[in-house]
Amino acid sequence: MEKLLQILEDVRPDINFLVEEKLITDGILDSFDVITIVEELNKEFDIDIKPKYLTAENFNSIKNMTKLIDILSN
Amino acid sequence: MLNSVVSIIEKSIKKYGKKIAYIDNENSVSFDDLEVMTSKIASRIIQMGCFNCPILVLSKRNVYTPVAYLGIVKSGNYYVPIDSTLNENRINQIIGATKSAILLTNRELLGDIEKLNFVGNVLVIEDLIEARLEPLLINDMNKKMNPMMPLYTIFTSGSTGRPKGVITSHLALINYIDAVNEVLNLSEEDILGNQSPLDYIAAIRDIYLPLFTGATTVIIPKNEFAMASELAARIDKQGITVLCWSAAGLEMTYKSGLLEEIRSNNIKKVLFSGSILPGRVLEAWQTRFPTASFINQYGPTEATASCTYYVVKEKASANTVLPIGIPYSNYNILLINEDGTKTEDGSIGEICVSGLGVTLGYFGDKVLSDEYFIQNPLNDKYREIIYKTGDLGRYDEAGMLFFCGRKDRQVKHFGHRIELEEIELYGKKIEGVQECVAVYDNDKSILHFVYSGEVEKKDIILFFRNNVPSFMVPRSVEKIEEIPHLPNGKIDIKAVQKLVI
Repeated sequence: MEKLLQILEDVRPDINFLVEEKLITDGILDSFDVITIVEELNKEFDIDIKPKYLTAENFNSIKNMTKLIDILSN
Repeated sequence: MLNSVVSIIEKSIKKYGKKIAYIDNENSVSFDDLEVMTSKIASRIIQMGCFNCPILVLSKRNVYTPVAYLGIVKSGNYYVPIDSTLNENRINQIIGATKSAILLTNRELLGDIEKLNFVGNVLVIEDLIEARLEPLLINDMNKKMNPMMPLYTIFTSGSTGRPKGVITSHLALINYIDAVNEVLNLSEEDILGNQSPLDYIAAIRDIYLPLFTGATTVIIPKNEFAMASELAARIDKQGITVLCWSAAGLEMTYKSGLLEEIRSNNIKKVLFSGSILPGRVLEAWQTRFPTASFINQYGPTEATASCTYYVVKEKASANTVLPIGIPYSNYNILLINEDGTKTEDGSIGEICVSGLGVTLGYFGDKVLSDEYFIQNPLNDKYREIIYKTGDLGRYDEAGMLFFCGRKDRQVKHFGHRIELEEIELYGKKIEGVQECVAVYDNDKSILHFVYSGEVEKKDIILFFRNNVPSFMVPRSVEKIEEIPHLPNGKIDIKAVQKLVI
């Protein structure tokens, strides 16, 4: 979670990722942000986030992103 | 000849009536609705006594935004579109530049408007479309319109640190949409999937093509572009047949896996512009939609979105370099050398545009307009205004035009224009920044900001977030001990480039 938070804050230091729960649904993250984040996550956690996992649900909060990373790492 | 965009709206309403013109994920607007709503908006504005004035529209991404634009047009005024997600400082710059007396907005944005430096009348779009219709006022206004009147002013990055407003006439827009449709040949069965923000130049195709052809435009929610499976579901569900997207949009969605997620085979026409589409991306789209036609477009906002096009004939590969092609109808392209002479066949020169698509210049800035919209140096017989694009081009033996880079430091980032000087001017305003340079990595589409001084990287990103549109925020911010200089004292940009790219 700490590593993930670091990645997210590097991309968007203006967002409080610990409280936001509608990052995608409310348009807080845009498509440039998501692409950058996905590339970083793939690299950092050695996973492959396939298009079918690119849903608002999976990226709406840091909690859900952590869940996704856990699923894909196992 | 049609005297204004308004006559075109009226014609299409008679013809297409109950058909849907615009649809988003919550609402839709038929051509009949469009007639009533735009007339109501116009009635109210005409009563306020404005004619041929800029009117701001600060609104959300939904079907009522193009309705508001067209209502303003019907009132004999011109619209200045502003996306509601733009930061306060940038919006205040546009307010300051236009000194507009009227602003249209959505009810839910009223709280945000209060924080802005706007002192005129704020009108709520949701109220306006319910206002009283005054047919006589609308009728009289129709007679006062002429095709050289401004239709809109769209703001774009300026190297002086202030955004520049490009003013476009009814005539230029009508000519452009007609010309694009000669190539696209849309019918009322077609469904366009809108990608461009509605305040951006590329949206004019999605806004106006329905009025000219009876087609429908689907305003796709912005967040779906970040989520391939949701975007694919939208394309399938709405039966989208035409994409007029930025090349960056085609590339980003390809990278996110969109092509594997789309189930239907409805897409027939794909028109792209804004930057160079990599060959392998085009190849993937062609492979997924083998019967679709692909059209490369080129041109600046100052020439009403695009001035040349190329219908792709070949199957693309990684090595494919597409030409930007030949001029659209009623556009003329010249290549001119630094000294104002004609560029020799096969050599590189600055791409200059003349013809009906040349816009009216920069809002309230005669000096800047005179610098870029000039008398054709090859014509000493009569007045002929050309627009100097700052882009370099070359003709091949078959008469196809190729793009060969920029004369200055303007770059294209995800389809948006950025003047690197503007980024640096903002950078210098940040407390603690000693010196700074903006450089662009074309291959990876990354905007780098390199600086020296005593300030945290985070504060730099925050400053940009608060002052420029999000596409202009550097994605890589690096601090170095000392910015390298040339012997003449100027910053050595090439050396900085080598450090970060």
